[in-house]
Amino acid sequence: MSLSLQNSFLHELASDTRHFLRRPGLAALTSVAVILILLFIVFPVGSVLLKSFTVTYPTVTVRCQSKVSNRADFKELVTGPILGAIRSIEGVEETRELTDEESSVVVVRFRRDWDDLRGLNDIKRAVQKLQGTFALSVENIKYELGQETIKSLATYGRFFSKSYYYRALKNSIVLAIVTTTIVVFVAFCFAYLGLHGPGFIKAPLRVLGLLPLIAPPFIFALSLILIGGRMGILTRLLHLPFNLYGWPGVITAQMITFLPLGYLLIENVLRSIGSHLDEAASDMGASGVDILFKVTIPLSAPGILKAALLVFIMSIADFGNPMLIGGGVSFLATDAYFLWISENNLEMAAVFCVFLVLPSLIMFVIHQYILKGREYTTIGGKPQQVEERRISPKIFYPMMAVAIPVALMIITCFGMILIGAFTKILMIDNSFTLEHFQSTNGLRSLLTSLKFAFGAALIAPIFGVTLSYILVRKRIPLKRVVEFMALLGFAVPGTVMGIGYILFFNSPPLKLTGTFIILIINEAARNLSVSLEAGVAKLHQIDIAIEEAAIDMGASSFRTFTRVVLPLISSALAAGFVYTFMVGMIAVSAVIFLITPGNNLASLYILAVAEEGFLGMACAISVMLIAVVMICLGGLKLLAHYTKTTIF
Amino acid sequence: MANGNDSPVLELRNVTKRFGNLVAVNNISFSLERGKLVTFVGPSGCGKTTLLRTVSGFAELDEGQIILDGEDITNMPPNGRDTAMVFQAYALFPHMTVAHNIGFGLRVRKKSKPEIDAEVERLLALVQMDGLGDRKPHELSGGQQQRVALARALSLHPKILLLDEPLSNLDANLRVSMREEVRKLQRRLGLSVIFVTHDQEEAMSISDLLVVMDHGVVKQIGSPTEIYEHPIDEFVANFIGHINFFPGEVIDLSGDEMTFKISQTNLKVEVPPFPVSVGDRLKAVVRPESIDIVSAEKELSDRENVLEGRVEFGMYIGSIMRLTIAVGDQTVYVDEADPQHKGIFEDGQKVKLVLKKRIHMLRETSD
Ligand SMILES: Nc1ncnc2c1ncn2[C@@H]1O[C@H](COP(=O)(O)OP(=O)(O)OP(=O)(O)O)[C@@H](O)[C@H]1O
Ligand SMILES: [Mg+2]
Repeated sequence: MSLSLQNSFLHELASDTRHFLRRPGLAALTSVAVILILLFIVFPVGSVLLKSFTVTYPTVTVRCQSKVSNRADFKELVTGPILGAIRSIEGVEETRELTDEESSVVVVRFRRDWDDLRGLNDIKRAVQKLQGTFALSVENIKYELGQETIKSLATYGRFFSKSYYYRALKNSIVLAIVTTTIVVFVAFCFAYLGLHGPGFIKAPLRVLGLLPLIAPPFIFALSLILIGGRMGILTRLLHLPFNLYGWPGVITAQMITFLPLGYLLIENVLRSIGSHLDEAASDMGASGVDILFKVTIPLSAPGILKAALLVFIMSIADFGNPMLIGGGVSFLATDAYFLWISENNLEMAAVFCVFLVLPSLIMFVIHQYILKGREYTTIGGKPQQVEERRISPKIFYPMMAVAIPVALMIITCFGMILIGAFTKILMIDNSFTLEHFQSTNGLRSLLTSLKFAFGAALIAPIFGVTLSYILVRKRIPLKRVVEFMALLGFAVPGTVMGIGYILFFNSPPLKLTGTFIILIINEAARNLSVSLEAGVAKLHQIDIAIEEAAIDMGASSFRTFTRVVLPLISSALAAGFVYTFMVGMIAVSAVIFLITPGNNLASLYILAVAEEGFLGMACAISVMLIAVVMICLGGLKLLAHYTKTTIF
Repeated sequence: MANGNDSPVLELRNVTKRFGNLVAVNNISFSLERGKLVTFVGPSGCGKTTLLRTVSGFAELDEGQIILDGEDITNMPPNGRDTAMVFQAYALFPHMTVAHNIGFGLRVRKKSKPEIDAEVERLLALVQMDGLGDRKPHELSGGQQQRVALARALSLHPKILLLDEPLSNLDANLRVSMREEVRKLQRRLGLSVIFVTHDQEEAMSISDLLVVMDHGVVKQIGSPTEIYEHPIDEFVANFIGHINFFPGEVIDLSGDEMTFKISQTNLKVEVPPFPVSVGDRLKAVVRPESIDIVSAEKELSDRENVLEGRVEFGMYIGSIMRLTIAVGDQTVYVDEADPQHKGIFEDGQKVKLVLKKRIHMLRETSD
């Protein structure tokens, strides 16, 4: 940064701050918002980062109270021999003495992961052996177990030295690249055929491209297990020597899960190109294939890139699919969870999180600050109605060859869930049953999920839309920083937010782990940015003069916001509500770290029973979950219809 | 009222507003008499809106003072000021009915419901919108929306009404009739109004006082006639209507008359109201409609101040014919209000142009 640039930046900052401080209401509101963002997004993520740079060692402290008055004698008689005896004990890494007036204190630091009880016993035994020699000078001896945390890069060192750690990073990146490539490819075929294809194929492809959106993100893994798992239909019928667990399963499941995201973005960009450029090109003699590769694809490149970035982020952060069908292959998100749940090794889990965050954060920054607003600059104009037109066979058949199998796969997956839900034990006892639907725990978890999703869906839009108003309309210092912090919750994978909450809300005065409210707050924080963006988009459509007119009529800022702004951006609130509710019902990755036995969520319960092999029950609860989501959305739609508001 | 009726209702003292390095309003002072309509006029980006917004309070001043009806409102927030604004795009509250829009300010003031209803009725009648109170803004035409915005602004009996290009979103015919209506209403109610426009014709037709602006500074303040007849410099002359400039030199002074030499001709004109001496370079400023045009064959009784030229082409502008005439190497515009009567001038025809004796003179500026 050049000097003058820096100066003008500081100058602006100072003038913004002065302006800001002159408005106490705004300053108070903004401060509250920023504090909440810091508490519930930035600090948890920050504590993960900090944790990754620390190592915790078990320690034992030996305290000997002195009977003699001469300190030098005491040291020679007691402390010296103790130190000597302890040094040779197995697992000891460092000893330290802290002498004070009448006692000698020795702190013994063991190796990481050393069993501290074993160490304590070893020390006791060693000291007892010495007891005879200094019994006269020592009054009593106390032992204390403890911990010592040290800033160190050691955990990173271990990450890179052990292949079972760094393999997870490599696998996750390979997975993300493969999934992204496939999704973009398939989504392009779906979008292209859905727009330009013959009538009979358009509608089905459009529906199938979006259908996976309503499903919990791991039910494709679930149905793939039913199809090609160890006991899967295909595996058993065809006596296959292999099954889908591992790479093939995860990739297939992710492809279906993230297809709607890619489809939506690519369809949007293809639509916005319109047909006049194609027509101009073909007018100049270009063939269908030429047009596709020289006009359509280059023009839609920014949209395709955006889709690729988002799918990449989602794939790395995905938890449910690798969890269910990963078959022991290491991936960052799931391994971080196992490190926590089975080893309680939060330090290594934190290092995993850092590697989980990095790619997402890089992609997010690229998307947010480089690609944003650029999507249509090369194209210009609004989405246009595309006219039907014959696709050249050289394009049509290869695309159909990609789209049709995937479409069939999606239908099969949904079908398998239904079949699984109503069958006793698939492939073993194929009789019809309703018993899977009668799981009390399942129903209870559905109810908990409803409360949870509803709670998050109330908080996120109100907070997000209010914040969008401050960010768009008000002059506040460091606006970009505040915005970035708010969006961070979305950019950071759920696993990281989960571990961050465990770390940050684990001790008083913010001891919130184990409560239901922290689940809701976590979900709201993670989805804040959707409401924020909806609010920003809506506010950009509203002429600022309308608010000025209210102020001009003597209304206060508060009244202007409640009477004029809020009614006008209510659709953003509604959109935020619907989105947060939907993703809340199928949330997995962050909440899995925060649930307690009493408040299990349906999505997690499905995951748990599926892992234990109760696939029928998992299918049944999935069916109910989808049904509940659709009923709720239908209800909202009706409500919107009668109150004449637009929601979605 | 806080002050006597002859004190100005609004006074700007050395008002300056900057955006970063850009000085949008540069040290402007002026005052507005009660019950008058002043128009800020000038090219796009000259700072009209910004100046208006300093009065309404939406633009904070960097320097200067604003006095409204004797009270210093420089540091008062916009919602405390007794001003009302009509916005360019009307800025009606889209989710409220017309009646609610008009009654908004009264509700903010916590007036009783019957009182508000009665006042809204009165205002609707005032802007000829009776019976449309239950409509939503999007169910109204542009002109009707404009009336609602006006009624809303009038609802609080502001000390000064601020209109920022209020007619620019209307089509040409409606603009003309609406501006007459605004003017009538202003006269009838004795409103003090600041009107912003970049349309000089609109400005000339509606105002008591014009403030001609350029690049954030005031070029000239005066009545429409003053500004039209006696523009202070080329910018103002050019901006307010079409104009011909004849640069030349004073070659003789005798009493009230002087001889002014332009390219090929000597003009006998009145001495301008500022001191001149022989040898001064001046610019004669002549409006197209104050030049008489006759065909070259016609014998003139008075041979003075006649230029000879040739018609390049003519075109109708509204009801007049504007002729473009080549006089030597200069192009001169002449407006002929009644071409039918004089006979149509053909392209290429030789003509004589007759200038008046009283001609507005400008000193030639160095730039
Ligand atoms: N909020 C702002 N931030 C930065 N610059 C501004 C802002 N508002 C106005 N300006 C600049 O100040 C100058 C004056 O703008 P203003 O809107 O007052 O012009 P105007 O005379 O009303 O023009 P127009 O006839 O186009 O409405 C312009 O150069 C404009 O770009
Ligand atoms: Mg303007």
